[in-house]
Amino acid sequence: MPSFDPGLLLHGQYHDWLVNGFVLSVELAAMALVLGLPLALAIAVMRLAPVRALRATGLAYVEGIRNIPLLAHLLFWYFGAPELLPEPVKAWLYSGNVEVASALVALTLYVAAYMAEDIRSGVRSVSPGQLDAARALGFGYLGAMRLVVLPQAVRATVPALISQALNLWKDTSVATVIGVGEMMYQAARVESASFRSAEAFAFCTTAYLCVSLTITALASWMQRRYPVRPA
Amino acid sequence: MRSRLTAVIGLFLSAFLLAPLAHADQLADIKNKGEIVFGVLGTDEPNSFVDPKTREIVGYEVDISKAIAKKLGVKPVFKQLSVAARIPKLQQGRVDVLAASLTHNKERESQVDFSLTTFVTGQKVLVKTSSGIKDLPQLSGKRVLTVKGGTQEPNIRKAVPGVDVVTFETTQQAFLALQQGKGVGYVNDEASIVNDYAKLGPAKKDYAILSQSISVEPLALGLRKGETALKTQVDGVLRELESSGEAEKLFFKWYGPSTKLQFDKRSFKIDSDKIAG
Amino acid sequence: MIELIQTYWLYFLVGQYPQGPLGGLALTVLLAAVALVLSMPAGLLLGLARVSRVAAIRWPVTAFVFIVRGTPLLMVVFWAYFFLPSLTGHKTDQFSTMLMALVVFDGVYLAEILRAGIRAIPAGQFLAARSLGMTPWQVMRSVVLPQALRHMLPSLVNQFVATIKATSLGYIIGLNEVSFIAAQINTQVFTHATEVYLLLGITYFALCFGLSRIAFWIERRLSQRTPAWQAAEAVPVHAS
Repeated sequence: MPSFDPGLLLHGQYHDWLVNGFVLSVELAAMALVLGLPLALAIAVMRLAPVRALRATGLAYVEGIRNIPLLAHLLFWYFGAPELLPEPVKAWLYSGNVEVASALVALTLYVAAYMAEDIRSGVRSVSPGQLDAARALGFGYLGAMRLVVLPQAVRATVPALISQALNLWKDTSVATVIGVGEMMYQAARVESASFRSAEAFAFCTTAYLCVSLTITALASWMQRRYPVRPA
Repeated sequence: MRSRLTAVIGLFLSAFLLAPLAHADQLADIKNKGEIVFGVLGTDEPNSFVDPKTREIVGYEVDISKAIAKKLGVKPVFKQLSVAARIPKLQQGRVDVLAASLTHNKERESQVDFSLTTFVTGQKVLVKTSSGIKDLPQLSGKRVLTVKGGTQEPNIRKAVPGVDVVTFETTQQAFLALQQGKGVGYVNDEASIVNDYAKLGPAKKDYAILSQSISVEPLALGLRKGETALKTQVDGVLRELESSGEAEKLFFKWYGPSTKLQFDKRSFKIDSDKIAG
Repeated sequence: MIELIQTYWLYFLVGQYPQGPLGGLALTVLLAAVALVLSMPAGLLLGLARVSRVAAIRWPVTAFVFIVRGTPLLMVVFWAYFFLPSLTGHKTDQFSTMLMALVVFDGVYLAEILRAGIRAIPAGQFLAARSLGMTPWQVMRSVVLPQALRHMLPSLVNQFVATIKATSLGYIIGLNEVSFIAAQINTQVFTHATEVYLLLGITYFALCFGLSRIAFWIERRLSQRTPAWQAAEAVPVHAS
């Protein structure tokens, strides 16, 4: 096997492919995070609501999503679900970047399910007296959550959420199966064009590790700066 | 006690170091083992695919492989590989011979050796008639779908600069994406395209195969570099199949008028391992 | 949908077996089970190495754990599939590759589960056993580990569920596990993509949800049966 050639990764066509892949991976993770967090918040609130039907819906969502692998979600949202749309909507969707759109839907729903559980644990760590006191003062359930409980829950939840963000970053790699041109896809492409798998995979691994390191460092910093106070 | 331990460790390590040298003659190994491992795709009808009724792997290349195994007097074993993993797996020794719709081209000659060319096809593009595309240059700026890790992507990019390509793990996934409208064209070997086109049944009228080939693909069996004894044997069997008329019979069994492909004549002979260019 | 199930149920459940290698749902479960069992000794070794007082052991293992946890599982699978064979001289197929990648991945997470489980055993158990004259190894083997494993059972079942989901990545290297088979079936019956993938989802759901319910049930049974003194005296064996 020819020897390792780092020059391949620093300039030239293959370098461009890999860098584009990296950028798309980051964009995918960031967008899924931004869209997933509000959804997660809503699901968590639903799961804690005093209304039975809402709690059941929240539970169904979380259990349904978490018990199915991300790969199956991606395949469903790319090959399965869009077929159910009416023709004009389908045509409009397919003329755009349907691969990224499907990946985004799958990733957002997936990460929201996990984050909802973390938020729920964080909320449950806040003493129930807080919610009762807020309601006794006349706040509705939503108001009490928004103004009293959630702000206190945030401190306990942030470490878990950062951990989920790390998982999300790693999960973007699976989108390669539906043709999304993110980093793993580009690495495979470089490999089949040049037979140089070592360089391509080394680039990918380093890139994934750098971002993971950043996220983990952020988590440590947060833990030191804003330690979780026991209830 | 210590020296015994050292000896054992030394033996163990030397086994690892010597292992690469161990298969200096693959043909002898195969005969000793009593079996030969063929790497096949299992997803490329009619070269190698899974028969849905018997759930066995069958096809044109499978039959050729079985003939080779019979001649060598060993048992054929079939391992399914993805398109992208064919050459790495051959190089690592996971399979002995590749019978996986492998195109013989100059770039690959530095990685593997090729047997006599067993099939000649071109790569073509299947489009939906609703896209209004009648020839290759019209694909520029549009999206085509194909499989990862083969010659399809580089070929279409060379033929149509400015085309947008999305690749999938198997050719069937790419074809499905075409049917769903996620791209305007699907690129693959002509034989596979004709096969998929035939599978469409009544929906055929919505599709068309562009007449221009984007490349000529001589398919051959892949062998590890330097295994001359094995290559001589394999080529020998292929020549025999050709001269006895078996090769032509196999062609018509899988590609002839009674099949979905309906080729009515064979445009090549199995007699050479040289390629143009 | 019914017709789909009727035609393909056997292929979905066992792949090509016996006319070929085992595949489908059977392969998924088998792969996950074997990976989990094999990763337990790996996890134990990794866990012990991580708390070792010998820096030459601790540092490389910590770096290794960090790398494995910071890269996607798919990356680990690709490295194993394309590289491990040339490094070790051993030939590997998709099953062994996935198995190796899963054992490495599970091992790293199991190391944490095992550590937590062992720490939850009260110090008194360890001290009492030592005062009876047992060596540290005997203490681990006969006193601490049996108790720890019982308590870790729910976490282990959850890790089993996570491993089952991870086997789906075998699809990408062409392993005949259930997602790959579903995709194969899908290409035979072009127009039923939604049903096929819905069925795939339901299968995974039934399997994973069922297992996690079992874990929940085990956890409840264990907390009912824990003697009061053990629950009260939960002082960790090692500090920190």
